[in-house]
Amino acid sequence: MAFINAETKKINENLSSINSVKPTKKANVWNTFKRDYQLWLMILPAIVVIVIFNYIPMYGIQLAFREFDFTKGFTGGEWVGLKYFDQFIHNYMFKDLITNTITISLATIILGFPAPIIMALIINQVFGKRWKKTLQTTVYLPHFISMVVMVGLLNVLLSPETGVVGHLMKALGLGDINLLASEKIFVPVYVLSDIWQHAGWNSIIYLAALASVDPQLYDSAKIDGASRWQTIRYVDIPAIVPTMIILFILSMGNILNTGFEKIFLMQNPLNLPVSEVIATYVYKIGIISSQFSYSAAIGLFNTLINFVFLLAMNTIAKRFSNISLW
Amino acid sequence: MRKKKFVKGFLALSLSATVLAACSNDQAASDGKGSSGKTKDGKVQLTALITKHPLTQDLKKMKWLEEVEKRAGVDIKWQEVTADWDQKKGALLASGDVPDLIIGPNAITDADYVQYNGLFEDLSDDLDKSLPNVKKMFEAKPETKGIATQLDGKIYGLPKYQRFWPATATRQFINQKWLDNLGLKQPTNWDELYDVLVAFKEKDANGNGDPNDEIPMDFSPTGTGGFGFFQPTVLLGSTGITLGEGSGQGYYVENGKVKNFFTDERYKDFVKFLNKCYKAGLISKEVFTQDYTKYQSVARGNGDVAKVGYTYGWELTDRFGNTLAPQYATLAPLKQTADSTAKVTWTYDYNSLNYGANMITLSAQSTNKDAAMKFINELYDPKVSMQVLFGSMGTNIADNGDGSYKVLPPTDSKMDPGTWKWTSTWADNGPMYIADDLKLELGTDMQSVGKQTEPLMGAIDAIDKDNDLFPGMFIKYSKEDNSKLALNNTNLMNLAMPKYSQWITKGGIDKDWNAYVKNVEKTGLFENLKIMQKYYDDYMKNKK
Amino acid sequence: MVLFNRKGKTTSDIIFDCMIFVFCVFIFLIIAYPLYFVVIASVSDSTLVSTGKVLLYPKGFSLFGYTEIFKDTRIWVGYKNTIIYTLLGTFVNLLFTLPAAYVLSRQEFKARRFLMFVFVFTMFFNGGLIPTYLLMKDLHLTNNMWVFIVPFSVNVFNLIITRTFFESSLPKELFEAAQMDGCTHFQFFGKVALPLSKAVISVVGLYYLVGHWNDFFTGLIYIRDYSLQPLQIVLRDILISNQVFAEGAGSGGAAGGYAQKYADQIKYGVIIVSTLPILLVYPFIQKYFEKGVMIGSVKG
Repeated sequence: MAFINAETKKINENLSSINSVKPTKKANVWNTFKRDYQLWLMILPAIVVIVIFNYIPMYGIQLAFREFDFTKGFTGGEWVGLKYFDQFIHNYMFKDLITNTITISLATIILGFPAPIIMALIINQVFGKRWKKTLQTTVYLPHFISMVVMVGLLNVLLSPETGVVGHLMKALGLGDINLLASEKIFVPVYVLSDIWQHAGWNSIIYLAALASVDPQLYDSAKIDGASRWQTIRYVDIPAIVPTMIILFILSMGNILNTGFEKIFLMQNPLNLPVSEVIATYVYKIGIISSQFSYSAAIGLFNTLINFVFLLAMNTIAKRFSNISLW
Repeated sequence: MRKKKFVKGFLALSLSATVLAACSNDQAASDGKGSSGKTKDGKVQLTALITKHPLTQDLKKMKWLEEVEKRAGVDIKWQEVTADWDQKKGALLASGDVPDLIIGPNAITDADYVQYNGLFEDLSDDLDKSLPNVKKMFEAKPETKGIATQLDGKIYGLPKYQRFWPATATRQFINQKWLDNLGLKQPTNWDELYDVLVAFKEKDANGNGDPNDEIPMDFSPTGTGGFGFFQPTVLLGSTGITLGEGSGQGYYVENGKVKNFFTDERYKDFVKFLNKCYKAGLISKEVFTQDYTKYQSVARGNGDVAKVGYTYGWELTDRFGNTLAPQYATLAPLKQTADSTAKVTWTYDYNSLNYGANMITLSAQSTNKDAAMKFINELYDPKVSMQVLFGSMGTNIADNGDGSYKVLPPTDSKMDPGTWKWTSTWADNGPMYIADDLKLELGTDMQSVGKQTEPLMGAIDAIDKDNDLFPGMFIKYSKEDNSKLALNNTNLMNLAMPKYSQWITKGGIDKDWNAYVKNVEKTGLFENLKIMQKYYDDYMKNKK
Repeated sequence: MVLFNRKGKTTSDIIFDCMIFVFCVFIFLIIAYPLYFVVIASVSDSTLVSTGKVLLYPKGFSLFGYTEIFKDTRIWVGYKNTIIYTLLGTFVNLLFTLPAAYVLSRQEFKARRFLMFVFVFTMFFNGGLIPTYLLMKDLHLTNNMWVFIVPFSVNVFNLIITRTFFESSLPKELFEAAQMDGCTHFQFFGKVALPLSKAVISVVGLYYLVGHWNDFFTGLIYIRDYSLQPLQIVLRDILISNQVFAEGAGSGGAAGGYAQKYADQIKYGVIIVSTLPILLVYPFIQKYFEKGVMIGSVKG
């Protein structure tokens, strides 16, 4: 007990000292550390894990600037600087790859971001507990379907001759369009099937946020005569805005990440002009001759652009709200 | 107070548990390097990795393998890989964590030998002492030595030779019953084929009362990386272009010159013909979007009503199923037009079907090289190779007692011989030497393929193998050239394949042709042709 | 079923309820039909499935797919391993992530922004597969069950989500009030923060759990022994074994009629086998998403 009181006293003293006088730099850091040592202890395991498993292997990034030479080990190869970055940018395919990648990514973000939110808001409005549970469980299930099976499913259902969707389209008079064949329809099919598969799962986090809303807020809204729609606007949505902002910043940090497996499985000669993205290209040049340095360079290029976007978004979010990553 | 202690203590405990776990060395976890132990009965222990076909059973159940290990005095710990080898390979090789033996078709490639210099054992100086069976194969079939020798004269991976496979992988089939129903003769050129297909479409060829359920022509889904087997590119044979290795990306040799058909006028004719067919509704609408499973399913029709009129495949029962196979026949190669003078030819796949490179490699860091080589040598004994390919003596092969052997039918009567082979043993994935003088009677599946290839043999035998064939298997490129070729080919495919499918489904080849050719130049195709020509010339010069 | 509560409804509310109803039905059908299709396809003849003959009920009923999957004894080892890795792994995940997120949510923690940056940086920049593999090898984590539990135990995305929740639901005032009573961070965390955050713990716990359950990449790269492989690897092997390969025909007989008939059954059966357990677990976690979980915590 005495120990704790002494602690508290020290904390209070530090608090007041920080508020009043500006101490010397050295004392400040030490005091902070002494005061916050418990916090440091709590965060230590996470830091250790990240440092060991994420930062130690980071020397691998320099491979993008070196010729990979197995006999000399990972860091022994000849330094070639920006050679592979150059090679990539001046590549015949560069413009198309970037265009396709950004198109698919942006479409996925723009359409895929609101979908889970809307779904969460809708499900949240369902009154019967049983129905709500059933609906929730059903919508998150597609998330577990593996990519290979998912694309197989798409091929079967969307086939113009034999698929359910194909039959529907024939009934609507659109029988001539082959959903799997057209360049123009590739991106919508890709994005919509992505939403179909993941919106339910992604809505879980918003549902959890909505579940933490103080019921008193709903009561006072009702007392004030708010309609259901107004309730959503003024109670539900503000409750999930912090989550929304953070998730949006993070998704902007994925601007050049399209994911490899699904696109690779969906590619065919007819849609190739729009479906060849950075990830599939890297895979193709990789399997033929282990081009470690080249693929490392492309990967780094990819990552840098993503990171710049993330920084930009984070700064914007900080300016206009006080919610941001750091 | 207690809570704080508890939390602190718990954190400390978990941290130390983590550290302990990280440092613990699981005894059973070998790090893959050649283990230098001996088992109780004095056998040498080896580690090996095999990339086996997913259908293949557990290696422990293969009797012939057990016997081979016994004769070589080894006990092998096997790692059996059936999927995702390319992903595993990178980590395995770059970390130097290599098992004593790696087995599988081109599991380690020529490019890997250059990239990971020093990881694999050079076997060229061991032929006399430790690998006499391999030496015999090299002497009987010098091409195999060519396949195995790298640019620096060393041999890191051993090839296979399996002798019995046909000269071509793709046969063209036509529904004979439909022809008979409609009173038509087998077509002999493209125009006649067109007319036949039209008749198939309009005249209820399968006689079931529905004139709209026939698919006159279907071909295997084209990948985005180039052409493969069972594609209509075989029709290029009608224009005199002999396809073979490398033709997936359009390369072929004519009169000693390396060319690429993607910018050839004859390719233009070929695409125009397919477009004509597609426009008339003669080709399946899903030809570019279906996957291989669907392609095969469609051909099996509905009970005994066939769906497909003209198509390509490996063998009749494989393509159409047992019920419908009798309705079909192999069609001889077609001429382009009735009065065409081009020498009709067909794709030549003998080399790629019968030879294989880098089927087995030995780690340079192995501590038991002698034992490992003894094992390798056993595999190349033709009597053992026969079992590697078809299965164990007794269950899969019968010994007739007079020096000849016979491949037995599957013990499961519902299974076809091909699946049976793949289930029982390593099959085509293993290193082997099937000597030309081995007396082996084949199973029904191989015999059928042979028979079904006969109508094509006329054209195939007439191929000038010295001047009109690209010897892809025997050519080794340097690391830089290999990279250049790969990168340029990726660009070429990304341009050519979409155009191919677009011109067939939507037409417009005449309009686009000139701009297309200019774009092809930008992909680096001509650089590739120059490189390949140089290597081809060197190879031909050294052959003499 | 109480979808409408007639008491005190305006017309706009009733229209609203109707719209919600319509949306829900639409969403349900669109998602449920393909799932239903997966179930019936897993017991129907593959040839009929890929030629589109199977629409509303199974045709050519056969359990070949499931017998193939379950007769492979590796599957039971896979189930056992996955359950162990998932439970142990999720426990370690939460053990490391929750305290860290709490720390990062405390505004008085000076190193907060710097550490957050350190964490986020790793979401983008990493050394690549080979250096990571070499590290695992040096730590003796290759071919070792701990590789599933320790190395990737902090997922920065989940860390950020948890931190966001802590930030908005545990304001500074709350802690300062407790501090007055002599409460330390440890105590506050254990006695106040955790009980209040059941919703986010469930969500993040679920994310980690599913992450472990679905992970096949770790086993693919770092594990050699089949006895250590998780369920996903076994299923992936079975799945790929039963696909029909184009190149397979001549140089391989997988296209033989025998395998052809049942190929797709296995494809769809695999989904069911791998998803069923999660379906059983989810209801227990779901109750934490109920409304009103956080009753009377912060006044004003």
